[in-house]
Formats: sequence, C-alpha cells, structure tokens
Amino acid sequence: MRLIKTILAFVVLLILFNLLNNSQGSIPPLGKFLNPFAGFWQNGEKLDQIDEVLDVKGLRDVVQVVWDERHVPHIFAENTYDVYFAQGFLTARHRLWQMEFQTHVAAGRVSEIIGEKALEFDRMQRRRGLLMAAETTIQHMDKDPETHLILQAYANGVNTWIESLTPATLPLEYKLLNYEPEVWSTLKTALLLKYMAWDLTGRNSEMDMSIIQATLGEEFVNTFYPEHTPHTDPVIPAAKPWRFEAMEPDSIPPAFVPQIVQDLRKNEPDQDNGSNNWAVSGNKTASGFPMLANDPHLGLKLPSIWYEIQLRTPDMNVYGVSMPGAPAVIVGFNKDIAWGVTNAASDVMDWFEIEFKDDSYSEYLYMDEWIKSDLRVEEIFIRGGETVLDSFAITRFGPLVYFGENTLENGHPTGLAMRWSAHDPSNEMLAVRNMNLATDRETFYTAIEDFEAPGQNFAMIARDGDIAIRHNGKYPLRGQDQGKFVRAGRDTIGEWQDWIPYEQLPAISNPWRGFVSSANQNPVGKKYPYYMGWDYDDYERGSRINDRLGELKKIKFGDMQDLHMDNFNMQAELMLPFLLKQIDVEALSGDMGVILNDLYGWNYVSDPHEKAAWVYKQWWLRLEKAIWNDELNILGEIRKIPTRSVTARLLLKKSKLVYYDDINTPEQEGRPEIINRAFKQTIMDLTDELGPYGEAWELGRARGTDINHLLSVKGLGRTGLYTGGGQGIVNATKKDHGPSWRMLVELGDRPTAKGIFPGGQSGNPGSPYYDNAVDNWVAGKYFDIHFLDSTDIDLNSKLSLTRLRNYQ
Amino acid sequence: MINILTPLIIVFILQLILYSWWWIILVPLVIGFFEKDSALKASAGTGLGVFLLWFGMAVYQWKNGGEIIVIRIAEVMGVGSGFVLALATGLVGFLVALVAGYAGFSLRKVLIKEYQIS
Repeated sequence: MRLIKTILAFVVLLILFNLLNNSQGSIPPLGKFLNPFAGFWQNGEKLDQIDEVLDVKGLRDVVQVVWDERHVPHIFAENTYDVYFAQGFLTARHRLWQMEFQTHVAAGRVSEIIGEKALEFDRMQRRRGLLMAAETTIQHMDKDPETHLILQAYANGVNTWIESLTPATLPLEYKLLNYEPEVWSTLKTALLLKYMAWDLTGRNSEMDMSIIQATLGEEFVNTFYPEHTPHTDPVIPAAKPWRFEAMEPDSIPPAFVPQIVQDLRKNEPDQDNGSNNWAVSGNKTASGFPMLANDPHLGLKLPSIWYEIQLRTPDMNVYGVSMPGAPAVIVGFNKDIAWGVTNAASDVMDWFEIEFKDDSYSEYLYMDEWIKSDLRVEEIFIRGGETVLDSFAITRFGPLVYFGENTLENGHPTGLAMRWSAHDPSNEMLAVRNMNLATDRETFYTAIEDFEAPGQNFAMIARDGDIAIRHNGKYPLRGQDQGKFVRAGRDTIGEWQDWIPYEQLPAISNPWRGFVSSANQNPVGKKYPYYMGWDYDDYERGSRINDRLGELKKIKFGDMQDLHMDNFNMQAELMLPFLLKQIDVEALSGDMGVILNDLYGWNYVSDPHEKAAWVYKQWWLRLEKAIWNDELNILGEIRKIPTRSVTARLLLKKSKLVYYDDINTPEQEGRPEIINRAFKQTIMDLTDELGPYGEAWELGRARGTDINHLLSVKGLGRTGLYTGGGQGIVNATKKDHGPSWRMLVELGDRPTAKGIFPGGQSGNPGSPYYDNAVDNWVAGKYFDIHFLDSTDIDLNSKLSLTRLRNYQ
Repeated sequence: MINILTPLIIVFILQLILYSWWWIILVPLVIGFFEKDSALKASAGTGLGVFLLWFGMAVYQWKNGGEIIVIRIAEVMGVGSGFVLALATGLVGFLVALVAGYAGFSLRKVLIKEYQIS
C-alpha cells in the first residue's frame, strides 16, 4: 500500500512538473512564469533603473549616455565603433525581444518559436527570398569596411547585453513563449532591412490585373486602372520640364493570360503603408528658417516600431528614430540637415509564369532552351516537431514562390517567380550612415544614392536654406504597363533589362512655391518619360497638404502640428453633396432622416466625435461594392477594385453606366438606386452592429484605434483609443495603422524639433516607458526634443547620466 | 514552525542564486525524505513554507515597482487583481511543495521498510 502511495505521489509530481515546466498551448509554463524569483514578477519598473556607472565589456573608450525624461538615450562616444556598440547595447536593453522576433519573422523562423502553426508562413517567407536576399546583402555590405565596422559594433553591443541577462531579467515575451535569445549577428540587421523593404514594396496586384484583363478586356483595365488617377497632384509638380535624353526600353511585353491562378494579394503587406512628408522654405516660415515634417504610416504595434536616439561622436551629432535591430538613425536631423521619408510606391516587384521541364523544377524554358535553375533547400526547424526541408527553384526571374499545383496544356509544370529589386545586393546601411553625416543637399543626395530598396521619397531641408525632395531608389526600366500584369518568363520580353539612371529620377529642389511634399501619390505627371508603376495612393492626402501649404504663410510649428493632425476628408467634400442629392427622402425610415441631416451638416472633418464621418465611410464602402463586386467577382475572388478617385469620377460624370447594375439581380439598377440602397444598407448594418444612432456611432468609438502587442496578446496593448482621421486623410490614423512617428524640425542656428510616436522607449510591458506617449499621441501633442551638444547637464533636471566603462 | 521555516529559507536562498522554479520540488522532496514523524509535517509544512515564500515574494515584487506588470498579466491571465495573481502564485508553490514533501516522506518509508525486510 505504501509503495502504491509513493508511486502515486511521484506520478502526480511528475505530471505537475511537466505541466508547470512546459507551455500548454498558448499558456506559458506556469512554474517558470509565476516563479517570483525569475518569472514575470521580475519584469517591473526596476528594469528601467539607470546606473551611474556600468562596466561593459568590449568598448574601446568611455561612453557617456544622457537619459532624458522619456528615457531617450543620448550617446556620447569618442569613436565610431563605440557609438554603434552603445546603440546596440542600449537598444537591446530596451527592445531585445522585439528586434530578435522581427528577424525571425523576416527569416521565416517563427516555427522555431511557436511550432507548426507558423510553418506555412515560414515557407512563404523563405520562398519570397528574404533570407536569401539578406545573405547576399550582408556579403555585399561586409565588403565595405565602414559598413562592416558599424554592423559588427552594433552586433557586439547587442551580444554584450544578451550576455548580461539572467533568467530574471529576460524580457517578458521570452518568458511567455518559453525560449531564450540567441547570438545577434549582422545578418539579422540585413534581414530587418529586407523585411522593411518587403513591408513597403510588396504590392502584388499583377494576378488580379491579368485576370481582370482576360475577363473584362483591355479597355476596362485602361479605363478604370489608369497610370494617372484623377485629381492627383504629383510629388514633383507636373509642369516641371525634364531636360535629359531618356533611355528606351527594348520592347513592350505583349498581353499574356497566365495559366496559374494564385491569390497574390492574400499575403501582401497593408496597402496603406505610406507616409506624409513636407519641407517648407524659410520664405514661408515665421522664423525664416526651413522646416520639415514627416509621419510614416505603418502598422501600429507595441513595442513601438521606432526607437528614439541621439548619436554623438567627434564627427557626428545626429538625432532621430532608429529601427530596433539596425544601427544609425533612419529618420531625423543633425545641425545641418533634416530629412523625412515616405514610401515611393513605384513598382519594384514583378511576377513571371515559368515553364519547367518536369516536376524536379531543375530546368526551365528560356529563349527556347532549357536553362538550369538553382535549387535552394531551406531547413525549417519546428518547435516540438520534425524539421521540414523545403526546396524551391531560383530562376533568372527570381525565386519560385508559388508552384506544385499547376501544369500547362503541354503537361509541363509551371510556377510563379518573383523578381524584386530588394533581391539584389545593396548597402542601405552605408546610405543611412552617410545621411547621418550629411551637411547639405549635395552630400545628402550622394548618401541616398546607396539607398536602393525600398524606394522612398526623401524630403530634406538644409541649414543653408535648401529644401528638396527626391523619388529615390533603384527602379527597373519599363515599357508602358510593364509590371502591371503577370508576364511569361520565357524570354527577354518583359524581363528587367536595365535601370532608370539615378540622375534621371524625379527630384526637385527649391521650387518657386516654397515647399515640397509627398504622400505616396504618383511621383510624376504625364510628361515624365519613364513608366514607374500605377498602383499609387489616391490624391487626397497629397492634395490637401499642398493646398494647405500653399495657403499658409509665416508658418510655425503649431501650423505644422495642425497639418499633421488635419482630419479634413477631401473625398467626402468631393462626393457627399452629390450623393446626398440622390437620396429619396420620402423613402427613409427610422433614424435615417436624422442621420441624413447630420450628413448635411457635416463639415467633412473626421474628428473623433463625428458620427457622420463613420457613416460616410461605411456608405462609400458599400457603394463601391455595389458598383464593382459583381463584375469583379471572378474565379471565386473579388478582384482589385478601382481607386476611390476613379469611382468618384464615374459617379459624378456618368448618370448611366452598365456597371451600376447588379448583375446578380433581375432588376436593372441605375445610379440613384445603388446610392439609395447603399445608404439604407449602411444604416441597417451600423444599427445592427452599434445599436441605435448615438454615441457609439462616433468615429472614435465605432472605429477608434487599437495598438496591439506584436503577439496580439490581450492586455499588453492599448486598445479603444479615441482617434479621428482615416484613409485618404492627412491624419491617416485607422483601426490599427497610422502615423508611427510624427516629427517636426526647424533648422536655425540650432535645430529645434518636436516628435512623438504612439508607444514609448521601453519594450517592457511592465515599464511606464512602454506606452507613456500614447495618450499624447492620440491628443496630437508632441514632445520637445533635446538635441544635446555635450554631457554637461544639470543633474537636478530630469536628465540622468550613465558612464559606460570598458572592462576586460 | 521549523517545518515551515526550513523549506522557506532554503528555497529562498537557492532561488535567489539559481532562479529555477523547480527548487520548490527538490527542496521539499529532500526535506520530506528526512522527516521521520508525520506525513502531515512533511507535506503541509513544506507546502506552507513555499506558499509563504512565493506569495510573499510575489507581493514584494508587486509592491516594489511591479504595479504595471501585475495589472497587465492579471488581464493576460484573466484574473481580477494583483492579489489574486499573488495568491495563485503562492498556491501553485503550495501544491507542488505539498506533493513533493509527501513524495519524499513516502519514499523514505518505502526504502526503510525495504531495508528492514532485507
């Protein structure tokens, strides 16, 4: 009996050990996690403690760090190595889990952390060639001694921090997911850069456009998916003459109907990844000094995308935001220049259908010959499972991303290859380093020449008074509409053959109107001789910024702040009066009359308290569906619908149009019918969702903004934020996407700047610096930026000082 | 009292130095093994000792800069408050140490009986 009891006790103990020592589904290992000596209890505010002196192995000299009241580190180092070492060390201190997790995402290694459920995601990441591109890029970067030094110093700093960790001080997410950090390598920084490129350039409408063209015809595509959309005020004013001899692309690819049907848009990044930036000349500012504004629009997450930092050495003093995981400052300023970026949105990713000889995918047809493909084998390690080997072919048209499901009529297997400019080696790290060091427009332009992918509109101001904007990047030389459709990867027709010469890229400096701006719209008007793409953002943000900057005089920071937070909905201003006239008031019931009155009284400003803003948005979406979702429901998917401006022009100009009719109903619908029907449907849907017309319909409540944790763990994000703005509005705040960093800079004798991002410096959810800026960000407030020249600070102020000392 | 204090102090020292949570198994197992008199002393004593240690340490961390993380984790785990979270922490420690203390005591009894028979 005693023996049985003993065995039973040990069995229970073993079961308990197993339950508490290992994750159970999404539940962390509770023994480890609740352990008050090393579990989550240790991730409190004490991790924010600032030491006066820290002994750090690997520094070459003493480094001093001034911490301001928001825990922004201002690093003062005696040499280049130390400044990036300290940046890596301090960024890891605040953001280690985030920076490492993002590299796992980029490399397709999430299965190593969360198991088999991430296998398909990992497989896609590998096949897109992110890891391959990062490997090629790091080899290329390592050839440049300065880049190598910077990357290695940063990696050494990160690793020194990792070595200092104990089980108690591990970031919370490692405890939640039950794993530990690995050694940081320079490859990880390259992976982050490639991931950034993917996030900003991964627009894949080629398959949809091919299917639409094959089904509805070329005229439909030309009419409703134009290169230049209505009302667009391009980044470079359309009137600018182009005084150079343009290269001619070899040939225009013929129309092609792909045999493969694949939903390329399923896995693409958020189409609203974009930004605003503008630079204003001293002629238009109150101070007489040039001013710059920037707000990159990205997915909003916690920990925050950006990490604020100042880097100071004898030859450099730069302030701005960095990407956790990469050295230097990506968006910021120094005493001579300031710069901001928006996504270029020009097409740098094309899809090609490849014909293979057999299902080994080792040979493919090119110029009527079978060419050998490179086969790449990826090992995908799966936590708690067997390693999966995934092999795919690399062709001259890029890696084969989709394959294995289709054969051509001749029996040959086929697949889709992705040609992407970011697959090519480039050195964006050197570009960023030289941007940080630049002293005027010329040195800045020289620096950004190395920033090949992702393409960006770089707006800049210089202390000498210059303002400028450049549609920067590496863009293939294309024929008209080349890259709009999937092409046959069988020959040179449609293949990328050359690049637009760098000096012929769209750029302008010191224009007569006294400002430059960009908001992801088409960079150029019809006069520009090269075709760069068509799938740009609609006109509204760009036009609103230009209208306001044109009107404003003696501009101050306050005006720039107001423009960042501008909630004016230009699309509503254009369309709402027309739509309201179409409403049959006699046919309305319930609250519809009241709502209609509110829409009549709305001033088109999408402030958070506006109910009309949300009703209009929803009405417009239903109207778009009513027009397009029947014709564009092809092969089981709703294909890409035309832009807002194209649909708006149709509605305004065409009283009768075959597409107004819903082909799925026996009746013949016209313009008034679909407008009225969409309005009523909107009110019914919103009533079902939000209850009777009232407070819950306010934009800030019905939509609002959620800033979730990267892992979407409930409780670690900030949700239900009362925000205005939206798509097509300068304040491009949406449900989970929007201005990820708002920055204003004026370059006088000394730079003055303000900035804010929706989060905080710390990545630790137990720190007050994790989300301390969120409420101010919602309210449209900014923090004054401390651009320090020295470490001579008043220690009684809110600033603190840490000395990092080398020890061996 | 000694049955409670002994595991409390030993586990406290070991966890301060070596962090691992499973000291709350190993220490009660050993203490239980050397408890000659009663299964209750071996199990409840070690259970209570570890409960007091984990609960007390959790409350200490909570009240010393842990307010934010406790609120967040309470929401993540769907429990109402920091106190419930600290209590849950103590109870996990109690349960594990209780079973481990009993297992150690029981093992000794079996081994000694076997020894006496042989």
